[in-house]
Amino acid sequence: MKMKMTKDWFLKNIDREDKAIVSAGTFCVSQLQKKQQPVEHMTHSAFAMLVSLSRRKKGLTPEKLSDMARIDLDELVSIEKISGYVPEPRTVCQLALILNLPEDKLLQLSGNAKARDQWLQNQAVKFAARAQSMEKLNREEKSALEEFVKKLSESP
Amino acid sequence: MTETSPVFLLDRATRKLRDAIFVDDVPPELVSQVQSAWSPHFAGSTAEHGHWDWNKKYELVEQAPLVYRVFGIVVDEEMQGLMLVSTAGKNCRETSQNGKPLVYIEYLATAPWNSADIVAEPRFSGVGKIFIRAAIELSLEEEFGGRIGLHSLPQAETWYRDVCGMTDLGADTKYQGLHYFEMTPQQIEAFMRG
Repeated sequence: MKMKMTKDWFLKNIDREDKAIVSAGTFCVSQLQKKQQPVEHMTHSAFAMLVSLSRRKKGLTPEKLSDMARIDLDELVSIEKISGYVPEPRTVCQLALILNLPEDKLLQLSGNAKARDQWLQNQAVKFAARAQSMEKLNREEKSALEEFVKKLSESP
Repeated sequence: MTETSPVFLLDRATRKLRDAIFVDDVPPELVSQVQSAWSPHFAGSTAEHGHWDWNKKYELVEQAPLVYRVFGIVVDEEMQGLMLVSTAGKNCRETSQNGKPLVYIEYLATAPWNSADIVAEPRFSGVGKIFIRAAIELSLEEEFGGRIGLHSLPQAETWYRDVCGMTDLGADTKYQGLHYFEMTPQQIEAFMRG
């Protein structure tokens, strides 16, 4: 096939692509966990709490976060409330983007990606044990959240 | 059979257009070289397309060469982006075009040095726009009326929706929850006008 593109056409709105991410296609399957596989309970609890506390720390209602992340409210509520619920990979990536959390770690915690190190599991268990589900972040929860997010960013 | 056409990319450092070569039917040995050249740049990155193995994806072409094709864009003897499309087996979902054949973009990626999720200052701009145009031209050649469809990775949704003007048909639970996009004849016309 011969392309019929002219220079004029290309120049017309090339600036609109500047720095845009343009990738299309599915996530790498070998990096993802089969959804049917059970998710380690404490790891998943840590994921649900991390999403919930990060949302509350930013002062976002579930509705607002679902709007900002362009995800279904049902799915967000399921993440926070239903034990063992495994969201779609896209949902996890959108949450990572809006909540400023590392995407690859979040995919692991959510049960979407294969857990690659025991270190993350251990940190997740510690975090899940510390954090409590309350309407407003208390000092202990805030401290637990900040420490866990810091560790996620520092991890090997 | 490999065929080439002259195209352009924008060199972001100089803000000048650079001559580029559009390659239809990228041969397997070149795909393999691209995989080797790109992989080190993705090391340690969390880019959503960073783990793709293009050698593996090329197996689709080897299995069904009449259905799958790989396009590429070359500048300075370096591949600046790759796109794998299929011309059979996928039909439109958008209500006004429902059931009509389309060209489906299986995978589209820029080279790591052109991707803002890998480097702070990408080298070239325009890869995405050329590939979308190529998919439309292929669709016209196949007598599919220019209709195209794709599943966008999350970070690219805004580009397909707001810049390319495609219809966002929402999350597709059969494709990892990724949003599915299509271009209708009116949107194709607008895109081709520029």
